[in-house]
Amino acid sequence: MVFSSLLFLFVFLPAVFLLYWLSPRRGKNLILFLASLVFYAWGEPVYIVIMLISTVTDYGFGLLLSKPEWGPKRRKAIVVASVIVNLALLSYFKYADFAVHNVNALLGTDIPLTELALPIGISFYTFQSMSYIIDVYRGTAKAQRNWIDFGTFVALFPQLVAGPIVQYNTLAEQLKERRVTMEMFAEGVKRFIIGLAKKVLLANNIGLLWHSIADADAGTLPVLTAWLGIMAFAFQIYFDFSGYSDMAIGLGLMFGFRFNENFNKPYAAQSITDFWRRWHISLGSWFRDYVYIPLGGNRKGLGKQLRNILIVWVLTGIWHGAAWNFMLWGLYFGVILIFEKWAGLRLLARAPRWMRHLYASLFILIGWVLFAFDELPKVGDYLKAMFGLNGQPAWNDGTLYFLYTNAVLLALLVLASIAWKKSAEGEGGYSAVRSLAGSAWLIVLFLLSVSYLVDATFNPFLYFRF
Amino acid sequence: MKKQTDRLLVIWFVLTIFVLALLFLFSPSNKFSELENRYLQAEPKLTWDNLISKQFAEEAETYVTDHFPLRGQWVWVKSLSEQLRLQQENNGIYNGKEGYLFEKFTKPDPALIAQYTAAVKAFAAANPDSDMKFLLAPTSIGLYPDKLPWKAPYDPQDKMNEAVGNQLEGLANLTYMNGFNVLMPHAPEDIYYRTDHHWTTLGAYYAYEAYAKQMGWKPHPMTDYTVKIVSDSFLGSYHTRGQFSLAKPDLLQVYIPKKPVATSMYVADTDTRTDRLYDESYLAKKDKYSYFLGGVHALMTLTSDIPAGEENLDKLLVIKDSYAHSFLPFLTQHVKEIHVIDMRYYNGSISQYMKDNGISDTLLLFNTATFAENNEILKLSK
Repeated sequence: MVFSSLLFLFVFLPAVFLLYWLSPRRGKNLILFLASLVFYAWGEPVYIVIMLISTVTDYGFGLLLSKPEWGPKRRKAIVVASVIVNLALLSYFKYADFAVHNVNALLGTDIPLTELALPIGISFYTFQSMSYIIDVYRGTAKAQRNWIDFGTFVALFPQLVAGPIVQYNTLAEQLKERRVTMEMFAEGVKRFIIGLAKKVLLANNIGLLWHSIADADAGTLPVLTAWLGIMAFAFQIYFDFSGYSDMAIGLGLMFGFRFNENFNKPYAAQSITDFWRRWHISLGSWFRDYVYIPLGGNRKGLGKQLRNILIVWVLTGIWHGAAWNFMLWGLYFGVILIFEKWAGLRLLARAPRWMRHLYASLFILIGWVLFAFDELPKVGDYLKAMFGLNGQPAWNDGTLYFLYTNAVLLALLVLASIAWKKSAEGEGGYSAVRSLAGSAWLIVLFLLSVSYLVDATFNPFLYFRF
Repeated sequence: MKKQTDRLLVIWFVLTIFVLALLFLFSPSNKFSELENRYLQAEPKLTWDNLISKQFAEEAETYVTDHFPLRGQWVWVKSLSEQLRLQQENNGIYNGKEGYLFEKFTKPDPALIAQYTAAVKAFAAANPDSDMKFLLAPTSIGLYPDKLPWKAPYDPQDKMNEAVGNQLEGLANLTYMNGFNVLMPHAPEDIYYRTDHHWTTLGAYYAYEAYAKQMGWKPHPMTDYTVKIVSDSFLGSYHTRGQFSLAKPDLLQVYIPKKPVATSMYVADTDTRTDRLYDESYLAKKDKYSYFLGGVHALMTLTSDIPAGEENLDKLLVIKDSYAHSFLPFLTQHVKEIHVIDMRYYNGSISQYMKDNGISDTLLLFNTATFAENNEILKLSK
């Protein structure tokens, strides 16, 4: 199930609210756990077994880790076992075909493909499960003895299929004890509506522009159209993904959970280093805490640091998808980040603000070209179009048509990318009028989003691939 | 104050989702949507197989969307908001000038077109004694690119019609009639519906006139008919798909000959016979174009009581799409027996059908979009 569907909004959500509110305090986590299983099984009736396997093994490993009589060697073995189980699941379902495909191509063998569909959210819940075991091993969290609470942590439907990736230690306390105040619920409603509007009104509509440009033969695209296209993709993926995170955070609040922020106006970034502090923050922190730092981070000399950065970025790349372009995309950012660390940031500091912004946007957009096409020749063709190497003019009638028919939307997108205020910032001092106007605006956004959903001929959800 | 507005917002949100949920649960469900002219998703059946195959989940999603309370109003709001943001298209339909809606025509794959024309050629070669005409009529976007939204990209249809003509050249028993030559001179008149993908009865009349001349018959002049408006509220298929609010309805006209000929229509699909070429019951529905011949049938026969000696032809086979529906009534004054086959639904061998029924004259009548987008034409070679 996805949040941006009428079924979720008007059947699933009211039903869960009702059960959750009626249930006594002690039963609330069970309700959430069961609701999350229904939510997951809705899209993956068979693969729910895999999620349960990952959950049950890590629950068991957690209990073993909490045995005081077990020495460091056995504890380490347990962590390794947990990581192996989770990575094995992830590799088999996500990367096996990619590996087989390349082995076949390289060695001329004919190993059959598994042709399995990717289980929804597997990249997210395996990472969450691993974070739990590692946190318990490190002693930053206590093992969870209550299987319902643990199941709720892994399967919690607001962040199950597309993040934010919640690290166990941030949620441990809230699983045991949490309260939903009127203020918190209101914050959740605001956040959810903003997320829904980002996804349904902004991402889906600009996605139509990207598709009409991406579907054309790149050899026929004028320069401006190609740039317009990749900008449309950049907006689509940002508003799709951050809208989903907003909805997740909002739903979390409505049930009394506070998840970490996942985005912070990434397109306002002034360097690529800055961009990655603002984009998909929960994934970045995960790789930092569980890969980069354990590998030694920057404490073991320049050579090791370079190696660590490259490892993290290749992994970040293929986390996004089992294809060469994603690996290249990760590597691309790894190299830029190394450059910025070495010299780039010092150079940039001398440049005016607009130039820093232009530099960051340029490299982010080129990155999106690598990300958008999973066939490398297409990446090449599209880049050629962007830089006028395909013999096409700067623009044509189609460019003008795309521009004016999307002018209003593009203006809104730019505004929302840099100026979208987090409702969390709504401290006091608001006048009554502003406060009312804000609510009225949210109501309009919600109703408008529903009208687009009712007319949903186009409602794909991008982040199911990961 | 923030606290009060927060409380109001929460109450409003919770009420909205619960009230809409209850409305959805307890409102009677329709089986058919007039607005969209299609059957709505039926209530999904909860069985183990449906659950495992995800069919239940998919159908349930569609079911909720299809039966959502005030569905028409929501769609209207979305369409209005799209127009306000200057978007000129919706679901592949352009919102053109002067109330014209157009279906996007994307450049057809030349290899496919070559296959289709090859099938036509093979059909002509397989029936060397048959005299064939092939009329390829443009759709409205082909004739009126100037009425598209400003700078809207389009692929010229006349190129495709020309290409088809070139590929069909030099056949002894097949004459290709490019619809552009027939209709272009009349472009300033209302020969296409603004909200539907068909030509108007007037457009069909000009096609008939051209075809009759090509056959060497004397077409009836316009003055031989009484033109009657049977509906002034026709919002056709383009409107259904584009859902542009504020669209102006089209007029639906029928040309009644002043000297009528009795015609009986036999529909093989349902084994029914009627003496009316027009089905008035459709005028009250959304799908008003089905007024002509009662809509699409795989196979039918029109038998006309033409006084002896006045007929131009005994038997004619028409292989067609729905453009023929408003066109065929004109032919009933010239041909005693018209056999009508719709390739999209007829699966037998057409060559065999011609032999069985002793038919030699054939007309292929398609619009450019149908011809480019339906591979059923390949069945001709059966």
